[in-house]
Amino acid sequence: MNFLVPAALIGLFAAAIPVIIHLLNRRRFRTIKWAATSFLLKASRESRGKKRLKHILILACRTLAIAALIFAVARPLIGNWLGWGGGSVETVVLVLDRSASMETREGDGSPSRREAVVNRIADAIKNMGSPRLVLIDSASGEIQDVPSPDVLPELTSTQATDTQADIPVLITKAIDYLQETKPGKSEIWVASDLQRSDWRPDDSRWLAIQSGIEALPTKTSLRILASGSEISPNYSLELLASRRIEDDLLLDLKISRSKGQSETSIPLTISLMGARSTDPERVTISGQELRLQKRIPLGEIKESGYGWVGLQTDNNPRDNAVFFAFGEKEPVYSWLVTEDPSSEVAGYLQRSAAPTGFDRFSCEIVSPVQTTKINWSTASLIIWQAPLPTGAVASQMAEFVKSGGSAIFYPPEEPSTEAILGMSWGPVINAPDDEFFINGVWTRDDGPWQDGQTGTPLPVKELRSIKRRSIQGDAATLAEWDDKSPLLVRQIDGAGTAIFVGTLPDDRWSNMEYTALHLVANQRMIQLGTDRLHAGYRAIAGSEKSQTQDEEIRSRLDSFEDYEPSLGPYRSGVYRLGERTVAVNRPNSEGDLERVNEESLDKLLEDTPYSLFEDTKTKDDLISEAWKAFLVAVLLFMLAEAILCLQPRPSVAPVTNPSPAS
Amino acid sequence: MKYDFLDTDVLARLGAIPLESRFPMVGNVAGRHRSPHRGSSVEFAEYRKYVPGDDTRRLDWKAYARSDRYYIKEFEADTNLRAYFVIDTSGSMDFTSGENPSKIDFAKKIAATLSYLIVNQGDSAGLSCCSEKLHLEIPPSRRAAQLQHIFETLKDIEPTGETGLVHALHQIAEKTQQRALVIILSDLFVETEKLADALQHLRFRKHDIAMFHLLDPQEVDFHFERPHRFVDLEDGSVVVAEPNLIVDEYHEALREFLETVETKCHNVHADYHLLQTNANYEKVVSDFITSRLTKKS
Repeated sequence: MNFLVPAALIGLFAAAIPVIIHLLNRRRFRTIKWAATSFLLKASRESRGKKRLKHILILACRTLAIAALIFAVARPLIGNWLGWGGGSVETVVLVLDRSASMETREGDGSPSRREAVVNRIADAIKNMGSPRLVLIDSASGEIQDVPSPDVLPELTSTQATDTQADIPVLITKAIDYLQETKPGKSEIWVASDLQRSDWRPDDSRWLAIQSGIEALPTKTSLRILASGSEISPNYSLELLASRRIEDDLLLDLKISRSKGQSETSIPLTISLMGARSTDPERVTISGQELRLQKRIPLGEIKESGYGWVGLQTDNNPRDNAVFFAFGEKEPVYSWLVTEDPSSEVAGYLQRSAAPTGFDRFSCEIVSPVQTTKINWSTASLIIWQAPLPTGAVASQMAEFVKSGGSAIFYPPEEPSTEAILGMSWGPVINAPDDEFFINGVWTRDDGPWQDGQTGTPLPVKELRSIKRRSIQGDAATLAEWDDKSPLLVRQIDGAGTAIFVGTLPDDRWSNMEYTALHLVANQRMIQLGTDRLHAGYRAIAGSEKSQTQDEEIRSRLDSFEDYEPSLGPYRSGVYRLGERTVAVNRPNSEGDLERVNEESLDKLLEDTPYSLFEDTKTKDDLISEAWKAFLVAVLLFMLAEAILCLQPRPSVAPVTNPSPAS
Repeated sequence: MKYDFLDTDVLARLGAIPLESRFPMVGNVAGRHRSPHRGSSVEFAEYRKYVPGDDTRRLDWKAYARSDRYYIKEFEADTNLRAYFVIDTSGSMDFTSGENPSKIDFAKKIAATLSYLIVNQGDSAGLSCCSEKLHLEIPPSRRAAQLQHIFETLKDIEPTGETGLVHALHQIAEKTQQRALVIILSDLFVETEKLADALQHLRFRKHDIAMFHLLDPQEVDFHFERPHRFVDLEDGSVVVAEPNLIVDEYHEALREFLETVETKCHNVHADYHLLQTNANYEKVVSDFITSRLTKKS
């Protein structure tokens, strides 16, 4: 329990007054010479039990009445949100999850999870006597002083977005802020729906968060207000891929629903270049999700265009539409991460991703320590020829692949003990003298080494290797060495693909450079990444690519909803950013219903005390002042004391009318 | 007056009322009280058949004339009264709750007043003061100097120690051969069974027993505002108690004690009077004397 006037709690010592008076009275007895001692002894023996209990109860009532009065003066705050703590809070740092999943509503007319939690927090802050409120929202990540809790629901920084949240980063920011400003007693409040993709339990930063909170100058409580424990009936639409094939645009769509299994027909509205289809096509969904391919004839549109596909409004209005944009030529970005950027093999791999004369293709080389340079949102392919990534980079890589990116891993010279996507490198194996490792079998109709369009096989059989690294993990083997060990392995995760190649296009390893198998594999992976991502025209809400750069000016092209300039960078839609046209969509991971449970939170915050408040449908305030209840308690205790004291008067003396004549 | 337990006005007002014994007394001189022996007197008692040896002068000739039988006419033989005042002088009798006289003082007033009245009407009065350590005894006498003796003794009494009442009553019962009026003044803080035995002993000796059971008002009410440390007046033992917590139980114990004592007294036909020391002693004495007039058997 927290108090608005904690200093008044010093007065609790006054609760001991009745006990002290009682004890003093017991000590301040008078001495009297007495004759009828025998009755006294008998009465003392018999008076134990009920009488003593009653006396203790009276004393307890008096003590509790004073204590309750002191509590009332201290203006206590009650509610599961704050739990039992003590002392007033000077600063509250609110980490607000504004991700798209927070826009889910419980039903028609009810507020979204975000609106509900913001309103409740505003009320709670007011009830706490309006301590300083600092907001860190998940969309902008900026730290903002909120002048008054009343304005919290109206702030741009608390409005709906289609972005994803990175809770570990936000909490880290909150810790850094508290570390820098060193306010008095502070609390970090995290308002979120606990969506697993936002909380990223595998993120290594959670360890730093624990130690960060521990190291704060003042003891800081972490409170998590979790909403969305109940799943509302909702349909969501995701765009898995979009590609232009001659005069048509091909969209890979996924429709998911949170509840229900029965076969249902739902309308699908398509808008192209601002022209909405008059007769929405109906699609039938049975089960939890439906994947479909939608072919949109482009007709007279020869160069570029845009549009959207939408479902009818339901419990989450932010996941009912996906946006697309297309053009004739798209830039293709690849990144090569190599342990030695100046090596010969680095050159081979770079040229295979960005061949000379193909201006649309670019491939930048970085070392493993320079991976922060990688623009994951625009990359079609990541070529990784280095020990496998760890920590945040590994998370980014996994997220990149899951969201539809392509990655191809070549064996590093240095030992690599880490694993990614369930795969890892084994030891280097050298071929016996005067012998080679050669290919056994390979999949000719699928994968990066599949036959060409004319059916011509690739020269896989000509591959000769004197050095290789074994590939470990559970994945599809597309090509094998002659001793059955894997040569080319494919791991599919989410919408993306990762390929592991067992040897290098380097004379010290193999003749792959001669066979150009790496070039074919890299180009096919680039095509896969580019086609599926359509990266040039597509961006994730809140990502760097969806932001204006340099002197670009933002304008919205589609007419799906009204354009709000202040929220533009965080909302889905088709935008003109300077010369660019970008279709911004919410991250597909926002459709993931998986939440981190309390057990996972306990693991993430193992050494950090935190309190979790599951927000339910109840309208109760998070916290409220309870002084009235304590005043009532005072009255009740006084009443009880009076009743106990007003027990029947002591019995009448046995001799009331002395008379010798009696 | 020399003795503060005597009030001449009270004595003057009460002097007109005679103190009677409820049972026949055996005295050594003629007096105003009935005797178990028959003799000549003005008050007719009964007829009885003549037996040889009877004084023929006492034959009732009128009865012979009517019935042709010889009857001797018997009259009540009046004699004097022996009164024994037994005063409990144990420490508990010294208790007083402020303005009221102590129990011993109240007992002195009653004993002195009654002894004055008794001696003045020609009867004998004696005194026995008993405590654990002291047993003073003044045999009954009807001489005028007896009063002086009794008053001086009463004046010097200092209550102390535990009670010797039961022992004193047994002694009086054993030593006093002739019937007497035994007037007991005590708070009776003794074992009730032993007290009952002593009273039974007195009654067996055909003594007329009058019991003045004296209590202080505070001993009855037991009203205290705060915890007290009670020091026993007799044995000095200490009890610390919160009276407001035990008042009900105290009253119950006292009630049980009083009922027992009263029952025991009634069993031996004792004239029982429960008194508080705030009572008007003149009225107490007056009522006592008056009640005995009506109870005379």
